[in-house]
Amino acid sequence: MSEQSFLAGKHRHHGNIAERMVHGLQQVMEHALDAEAISATPGLLQQLDPRIKLLSLLAVLAATLLASQLTTLLLLFVLAVVLALASQISLSRLYRQAWLSVLLFSGMLALPAIFMVPGERLLTLPLLHWHITRQGLSSAAFLLGRAEVSASFALLLMLTTPWMHVLKAMRSLGVPVLLVALLGMTHRYVFVLLQTASQMFEARRSRLLAPPSGRMARQLVASTSGVLLGKALQLSNEVHMAMVSRGYRGEVYLLHNFHTRKRDWCALLLALALPLVIVWNHA
Amino acid sequence: MSTPVFALDGVSYHYQQHAALHAVSLEVAAGSRVALLGANGSGKSTLLRLLDGLYFATAGELRAFGEVLSEAALADETRHYAFRRRVGLVFQNPDVQLFNPTVFDELAFGPLQLGWPEAQIRSAIDASLQQFGISHLQQRAPHRLSGGERKRVALASVLIMQPEVLLLDEPTAALDPASQSEVIRFLQESQGQGRTIITATHDLDSVADIADHVIVLADGQVAAQGSPADILSDHALLARTHLLHAHPHRHADGQVHSHPHQHGHRHDHGTNAGRYRRFGMGRS
Amino acid sequence: MFSGDRPEKGKRMHIPDGYLSPSTCAVTLAIALPFWLLAYQRAKRLLHTRLVPLFAVFSAFSFVIMMFNLPLPGGTSGHAVGMGIVSIVLGPWASIIAISLALLIQALFFGDGGISSFAANSLNMAIVGSLVAWGSYRLLAAGAPLASRRRVVAAGVAGYLAINASALLAAIEFGVQPMLFHDASGTPLYAPYPLSVAIPAMMIGHLSFAGLAEMLLSAGLVAYLQRAHPALLAGSANITTAGSRQGSSVRQLWYGLAGLMILSPLGLLAAGTAWGEWGAEDFANPAAVRKSSGHLACMPCRIALRRACPDWPVCGPPPSPTMPRPSFTARPLAMCCPPCLVPG
Repeated sequence: MSEQSFLAGKHRHHGNIAERMVHGLQQVMEHALDAEAISATPGLLQQLDPRIKLLSLLAVLAATLLASQLTTLLLLFVLAVVLALASQISLSRLYRQAWLSVLLFSGMLALPAIFMVPGERLLTLPLLHWHITRQGLSSAAFLLGRAEVSASFALLLMLTTPWMHVLKAMRSLGVPVLLVALLGMTHRYVFVLLQTASQMFEARRSRLLAPPSGRMARQLVASTSGVLLGKALQLSNEVHMAMVSRGYRGEVYLLHNFHTRKRDWCALLLALALPLVIVWNHA
Repeated sequence: MSTPVFALDGVSYHYQQHAALHAVSLEVAAGSRVALLGANGSGKSTLLRLLDGLYFATAGELRAFGEVLSEAALADETRHYAFRRRVGLVFQNPDVQLFNPTVFDELAFGPLQLGWPEAQIRSAIDASLQQFGISHLQQRAPHRLSGGERKRVALASVLIMQPEVLLLDEPTAALDPASQSEVIRFLQESQGQGRTIITATHDLDSVADIADHVIVLADGQVAAQGSPADILSDHALLARTHLLHAHPHRHADGQVHSHPHQHGHRHDHGTNAGRYRRFGMGRS
Repeated sequence: MFSGDRPEKGKRMHIPDGYLSPSTCAVTLAIALPFWLLAYQRAKRLLHTRLVPLFAVFSAFSFVIMMFNLPLPGGTSGHAVGMGIVSIVLGPWASIIAISLALLIQALFFGDGGISSFAANSLNMAIVGSLVAWGSYRLLAAGAPLASRRRVVAAGVAGYLAINASALLAAIEFGVQPMLFHDASGTPLYAPYPLSVAIPAMMIGHLSFAGLAEMLLSAGLVAYLQRAHPALLAGSANITTAGSRQGSSVRQLWYGLAGLMILSPLGLLAAGTAWGEWGAEDFANPAAVRKSSGHLACMPCRIALRRACPDWPVCGPPPSPTMPRPSFTARPLAMCCPPCLVPG
C-alpha cells in the first residue's frame, strides 16, 4: 500500500536504498514532465483561463465536501471523468495517478469502518461474528468517494495547467504576491535540490555492492540530508545576491497576461453552481 | 581621460577572519574589456561581487562611476536602482542566476524591479528572446534547459536591462565546446559597442578573444596587469599563479613527457598539431 | 536485513481532502492564519531582503527531505518531515513558513495531502511541529557545547516530540469528525473513527516508527552538522535568536504553545457540539450498539472518553488513519490493515 499522491500509482522499484532513492526522485521529475506535456495538448480544460480553473477547482472541492448524499458524489465523479475525456487525459492515467492510490490508501482506511461504525446490521460475517452495518458501509463510501473525487479534480487541474499559470492565477485572485513568488521559487529549488540529492545517491549506488546495513543506510540518508542542508544555505545566500544584483529590494513583482473569454465565465458559473445547489438541497 | 568605471584603492575584503582580497588597487576604463585571470580561490568571484555592490570593502575605497560604492550609498533607493541599472553580474552557477520558475519570468525580473512600464518590459522581453534565440523556451522551467540554453538565458536576464557594465563570472565553465564558443563569440561581438565587460576566468585560451586588458589575481592580490599578449607569454607568472599545469601526456610525435601546458584547440599552433600546447616553446 | 521490500511502517500524517469537514477546515485555517502572519512578521523583521530566497530554498529542502525513506531498526522504514532540523537551524518562525510552503506544493502539485485540509496539515506539522521541536531542543540543549553529545540527543528528542505532537493533533482532528458530523441515521460523513480509535491508531504508529524516523534524522543531521558546519548550530542562521531578546521570545513562544493547546480542541468543537452536550444517541442506533460490548484500546482514552463513546465495539490496534509514504517500497497489505475488532 502506498500513500495517497499523484506519484504513488507509478511502477515500483526494488533495490538497495540508493537505487530506490534515485528512482523515487526521478518519479517526481517525471510527473513534472508529464504535466508539462499534457498541459500543452489541445483539450477542453487546457484552453480555459487558469484563474477560472483554480476558482472552479475550489468550488468543486467545496461541493465535494458539502455533499451529504452518495449520489451527489457519484455525479461529481462522473463529471471528473467527462472532463478528463474532453481534455485528452486518459482514464488509465487518472486510474494510475489518482484512483488507485486513493483506493489503496483511503479505501484501506475506510474498510474497517464497515464493521466499526455502530448502526443497523445488514450482515454478519460467519465465524468472526463481525457485523456489517448500513451506517458503516455508507460512511466508508463517503470517505472513499470524497477522497476519490477531490483527488481526480486536483489532478485534472495539475495536468492541464502549467505550474506558473497556477501561481499567476493565484496572484490575480488576490493571493499575496510574496506568497506567489515564494511558491514559484520553492518549486524551482525543489528540482535543483532533487537533482543534487539524486546525484549524491547515484554516486553511492555504484559503490554499494552489498545491501547496506540499517545503520549504514541511515548514515547515508543523514549525510546526504546534511550536504543538502549546507547546499541549501549556500544557495539561499547566493540567490539573494543574484536577486539584489538585478535590483531586488525586498518587493516582488509579477507580470501576467490572462484573457478571459465567454466560455471561461460559463465554466466558472457552472462550477460555482455546484456547491450552491448542494447547500440549497440541504436546506 | 574620462572617469574610470571602477577605481579601487587599497581594497581589502575579509570573510570570517579570512582575507579574500588584500589591498587591491586598480582601475577599469569605460568601454574596456577586462579579463580577471586567476586560479580557483584567487579572489576573482569576490572581486566581481565587490564591483557589483554585493560585498563591501572592509578596508580601502571602491569608486564606481566616480562615486564611493558602499552599503550606505546603496541603501538609498534612487542610487540603488541607478547602480543596478548600470551594472549587471552574471553568476557562474545557473542555479543561482536563474531563480525564477520560467524563462519569461527570468527576463522580466530585472525590469520589473527597476519599475519599467509594463509595455516597455514586454517589448524588451520580446527583443531579448529574439536576440538570444530563446523565444521557443519562454515558458520553459530552468531545470528543463540545456547548459548552453541556461547560459543564454542567464546573459539575456542581465542584458535585458542594457547595463553599461557587464560582469561575468566564469562564463564558459561547465559548458560543452559548442556553447563555450557561442559565449566567446558573443563577447567578441560586444567589442566596440561601448559596454565595459569584465570577465573572471581561468581559461587562458579565450583570454585574447574576450579582453583587451588582463588582470592576474593570486591569493587575493593583483599579481600582474597587462595586455593579453604580454600576460600569456609570461609563463613564469602563469605557472606561479597556478594557471598552467603539468602532467605526463603524449605529443603528436609519440613522445610522453611532462611540462607546464594547457588543454585546448587552436588553429594557429603550426606544427604542434596535438591536443597539448607547450608553453616552453612560446606562442606560434 | 535490508531488502527492497522493507515494509513501510513509518507514516506521515498528510490529511487528504474529504477527511475533514468544511467547518474543521475553516477552524484550522482560522487558527493557522495568525501563526503564519506572526511568523512572517518576525522573519521579515530579522531577514529583510534575505527572506524570500531563504524561505524558498528551505521549503524546497524540507520538501526533498520528506521524500527520503529512512531505514529503521527492525526492518521497516519511515519518513521524516524535517520540522526538527529546520527549526534547529533556522528557528521556529522560518520553519513554520518553510514547511507550510512545502506542504502547499505537495498538496497542489503532487496531490500529497489535501487542498481543503492544507491549513490543518500546516497547523499540525509546520506550526505545532516546529514550535514543539524548537522549544524542546532549546530546553534540552541549553548551555551544551556545540560539539556535545547532548545536542544530538536533544535534536533527536525534539524531532520525536514534534512529530508526535503533530500526530496527536491530527488524531484529534480525525477523532472529532464522527462526533460532530454525521447524518440523521448516524452515518459519519467524514473521517469515521472516534477519538478512542483515532488517537491510539495514530499514536501507535508515530510513537514507534514515524517518531523514530524523525528522531534519527534530526539527531543524525545535528551530528553531521557538528562535524561539517558547526556554525549552523551556533545559531548563525537562526533568525529568531540572532540579535533578538532570547528570553522574552522563548517565553512568548511557550505562551503561544500553551494557548494553542487550549484553543485547538475548543476551536474544533466550537464548530459543532460542545463536549458535554454530546452523547452516543447523537449518532448511533442505540439498540444495535449496546448489544456489543466492546472495549477501548487505551486506558487513559477509555477513562477520558467513557462518556463520549460508551458503546464502540472497538479495541486496538485499529487500522491507522495515517498514510504510509509513496513508496519506494511495497508493503504487504496485511500489515496496513490488521484485524481490529473484537467480536461483540
